[in-house]
Amino acid sequence: MSDEGYISTIQLYSTKDGPGIRSTVFFMGCNLKCKWCSNPELLTPDVKYMHFEHKCIHCSACVEIASNHSITFAEKGCRIDRQMCSNLAECAEICPQNAYEKIGFEISSEELVHKLMRDKEFYSVSNGGVTFSGGDSILQGDFIIDVAQRLHAQGIHIALDTAGNICWEKMKAIIENVDMVLYDIKAYAGEIHKICTAVDNTLILSNIKHISKMNKDIIIRMIIVPGFNDDMDDVYQRIVFIKSLGPSVKRVDILEYHNLGSGKYARLGIENPIQQVICNNYSLLEKVKKIACELGLNATILQ
Amino acid sequence: MKPFLDFVPQMNDIDLDRIARMQKKMEKRQASICSERALLITESFQSTEGEDYVLRKAKAFAHILKHMSIYIENDSLIFGNQASCNFAAPIFPEYSINWIIDELDEFHQRSGDVFQISEKVKKDLSGIASYWRNNTHQDEVFRNTPETIVLSEKQGVLHRGGISMSGDGHIVPKHELILEKGFRAIIGDAQQKLNETIDHEAQIFYQSVIITLEGVLVYIKRFSQLAYQMAEGEKDEKRKAELWKIGKMCETLMERPVQNFYEGCEVCYLVHVLQMLESNGHSFCYGRFDQYMIDLYHSDIQKDILTKEKALEVITHMFLMNSSHNKVRPYGHTKFSQGYPLYSNLMIGGRKPDGVDGSNELSYLCIEAMNLTSMAEPNFSMRYNQDTPADLLKLAAKLIRTGCGMPSMFNDEVAVRGLMDLGIPKEDALDYCAIGCVETGVPGKYGHRATGMTYVNWGKVLELVLNNGKDPNSGIQLISLNGRTDSEINYESYDEVWDAWEKLLKYYSDLAVECDAICDRSLAKYDASPFASCFIDNCMELGKTLKNGGCKYDVISQSNIGPCVVGNSLAAIKKIIFDEQKITWEQLLSAINNNWQGREASYIHKLAKNAPKFGNDDDYVDYIVKDVFDSYLKLLPAYKTERTGKGPEISCYTMSTSNITSYVPNGLDVGSTPDGRTAKSPLNEGCSPTQGTDMRGPTAVINSVAKLPNSKVAAGQLLNMRFSPGSLAGDENLNKFVNFLQACILKGIYHNQFNVVDSKTLLDAKEHPENYTDLIVRVAGYCAQFVALMPEAQNAIIARTENEWCM
Repeated sequence: MSDEGYISTIQLYSTKDGPGIRSTVFFMGCNLKCKWCSNPELLTPDVKYMHFEHKCIHCSACVEIASNHSITFAEKGCRIDRQMCSNLAECAEICPQNAYEKIGFEISSEELVHKLMRDKEFYSVSNGGVTFSGGDSILQGDFIIDVAQRLHAQGIHIALDTAGNICWEKMKAIIENVDMVLYDIKAYAGEIHKICTAVDNTLILSNIKHISKMNKDIIIRMIIVPGFNDDMDDVYQRIVFIKSLGPSVKRVDILEYHNLGSGKYARLGIENPIQQVICNNYSLLEKVKKIACELGLNATILQ
Repeated sequence: MKPFLDFVPQMNDIDLDRIARMQKKMEKRQASICSERALLITESFQSTEGEDYVLRKAKAFAHILKHMSIYIENDSLIFGNQASCNFAAPIFPEYSINWIIDELDEFHQRSGDVFQISEKVKKDLSGIASYWRNNTHQDEVFRNTPETIVLSEKQGVLHRGGISMSGDGHIVPKHELILEKGFRAIIGDAQQKLNETIDHEAQIFYQSVIITLEGVLVYIKRFSQLAYQMAEGEKDEKRKAELWKIGKMCETLMERPVQNFYEGCEVCYLVHVLQMLESNGHSFCYGRFDQYMIDLYHSDIQKDILTKEKALEVITHMFLMNSSHNKVRPYGHTKFSQGYPLYSNLMIGGRKPDGVDGSNELSYLCIEAMNLTSMAEPNFSMRYNQDTPADLLKLAAKLIRTGCGMPSMFNDEVAVRGLMDLGIPKEDALDYCAIGCVETGVPGKYGHRATGMTYVNWGKVLELVLNNGKDPNSGIQLISLNGRTDSEINYESYDEVWDAWEKLLKYYSDLAVECDAICDRSLAKYDASPFASCFIDNCMELGKTLKNGGCKYDVISQSNIGPCVVGNSLAAIKKIIFDEQKITWEQLLSAINNNWQGREASYIHKLAKNAPKFGNDDDYVDYIVKDVFDSYLKLLPAYKTERTGKGPEISCYTMSTSNITSYVPNGLDVGSTPDGRTAKSPLNEGCSPTQGTDMRGPTAVINSVAKLPNSKVAAGQLLNMRFSPGSLAGDENLNKFVNFLQACILKGIYHNQFNVVDSKTLLDAKEHPENYTDLIVRVAGYCAQFVALMPEAQNAIIARTENEWCM
């Protein structure tokens, strides 16, 4: 039983993370590295600082106290040598413009549940609830099981949004404590999956097979990113595989690529794996939906 | 673009082209000033010197109705005009004249709320000015206003808007009575009562009622003549028939009970126009239109003389014609309520006096009519509760989604409880409606403005707490907190700061009540309104006008602006100075006096901005805002209205946060505040979080507001929320929004008005993201950032806006 979890945000009035009105908890840490990740601040479990250059007024408060002269003025905002800087927390604190944002904090399961319960009326009228997302919350399995059990005791519906890349024994224990699974299937062929996410998908595919026999509602997320996982043969294999999972799969959400997270990379001082502009191919998305529907799946393009 | 939200016409009865023409005409209307009423009332008053004022008003009203220009809009089924042309504002010299003459050459030069004025009209008004100078309501108020109140206005704490130079307005007549009886029968009642009474005041009142209603019947018959004339010259067969029908209708309209649905709509509209003509107040309302018109609707449908489509057409014409009216205010006051507002509230839905939800077919048709109307009038609102049909809520949500901000939503459970706590019996409380913008009252039984007597700038009161009662702008000090005459003050504890707040609040609230009384005493004479009064219980029974104690329920309130700025500031002081001891009192004051400029000051500014803010479901600050509300509510039982003991069954003060746009000019008068607000920037609107400080989405805002004593703000607790278009796009999101509305009932929210921003506003959001922290981006699995909208998110929302409105 884990007492503390590492999260970045509790996002309220989430309308795209499961049925009804939900609160989504974003957990720190992930064991995939998707090229198109829109939450790069959650890739690793440590606390980090984002720097917002448009808020910086070059007052030099942080420059003056940064260790080893690790912060200097850039043309807009500040340039931070994150390897050299050992007191970024103090620099963030002293900034008068809130140009630094701290990401990540510890929270006890009790406190997290208390915060989540504040929106209970919204969950109950809309048949909504709480969603665990991130990052990937399954890396903090003990913690989320504890939180889930406490929430269930209060009648709250729980959805788990995951990539599913852990051993089945651990996965099973988590699934037993949630009501719905939002599961990403990013590619079918292992090689494609590895190029896109840095990991193999054997465990991911076998896990969802097991889950589909556990009598829990499943929504599959199929993201299509042009130039990465849009090979039509592989997309077709994905669909066939999803169909094989059977009636637990209530819906397939086809997700288009969005670049809403791209600004975060610069703010974190890390490189964005996608430097180019990617345009979604809407006729391709429609085609995917058509194929899925023809196979008898309840497919939608999620916007 | 599809003209209807859900409605699918089966018959050909609704002429959409004509509605489109009318809509365009109203949209492109130009405001002007008309001198007819001013000339006619002057003429009449000159011939009634020495008579009772109420009688003079009645005779003047009849004189105006007999001689003023009348017209029927070419495309409209509904008729009745307030001035000589579309969107012209009549002048009411009996209330105030000086500012009119002062601004004659400036009306057309205003930067907002412009009025064209011809040389002839200027000459007319200049010509009558001398008759009225020193004899107006404004003069009377001025004569009786003591120096302290004048000084408190100079400080910027008190502001008297309408009440010192205009009529009250804020009336909802008993429509059922009017429809069931007709004016002739009410004249008969008045005549009988006149014969029976020996009370002088009552005699004058009944005489005034008779003269007024006879005058109205003459006005109506003038339309009969006009309509027949127009019919004769009309080439289009359909229009000819319509005009002929109007001519016939007006021969007997209101000489007897209303005969059908069309007549009923016309009568409601006429009563509205006439009230607007009698007094220069505003917020003359339609009340619960779907409730009192439903029997006529059902009866006509059954008799096969009306179709749904025709009903929708008539209602839409009636709605559209509301945009032909206008009132002009002094330029200074205009900033407190911009946009030529009239606040003619029309309400649908809600429980009936027997407790059962009353939503009916007309509720749906009114929403469709409002969609076709697409103007700011009538001010469309909706009551809802746990039994409101979900599809009606969804239709309302579809209207909200078009971006018009209507209907604004009222929670039956809270509003009814609020009125019952004042002593109003359950059946009457259940029959409540909105009056004006957010004010709540009982139709046919409430007399006066339920809100917005004197306006009190709470941001300024807070500033005085920081400055020992001495206003930094004017240097005026009416009360000192520590005995000194300068602005120096030091607080050793939060409790001391709180005590200072309570002390100043009481001082200025007492002053505001005195101010209300001065205006009310004058209004009793100058705003005597026999036409409005004869439709309100218990004026006819008691033989008194509304302002003299004729109304059954005499509930009034002031308007208090900026409670969240106050609460946020107190929370910041408590946290930074006293709890965490990060800075001293002197350091805070210094930073504030420099408007946060300078190295140390800008660091303190950050601490102030980062202190907890109302609207984020943070108990620390939310309960302090609650304290602020409570500190005012506890003063109210001691305040008495001018009509206490003079007739009403209930006379009392309650609270309202209906501020219209006054939070903007009020903010201009206030320097930086401890919550991190910069000098001159707006205060908060109603009880809504200060713009730019709510960052956790709509459920957090609701959770914060839920902690306030909402039912005790019985004259309306105004909450305004903004949604990005994407968050209501598509059926699934719409359903979640309906769920959100339903949850607001459970959370005890009083009122909510939703602004769904358009792409123009979103472009502004790109330039000033700090003002749009409340706009939410929701994408599957995406952690939308805590801080402001980032450029790429803004682009995404803007792109969606372009795509997602063709539903």
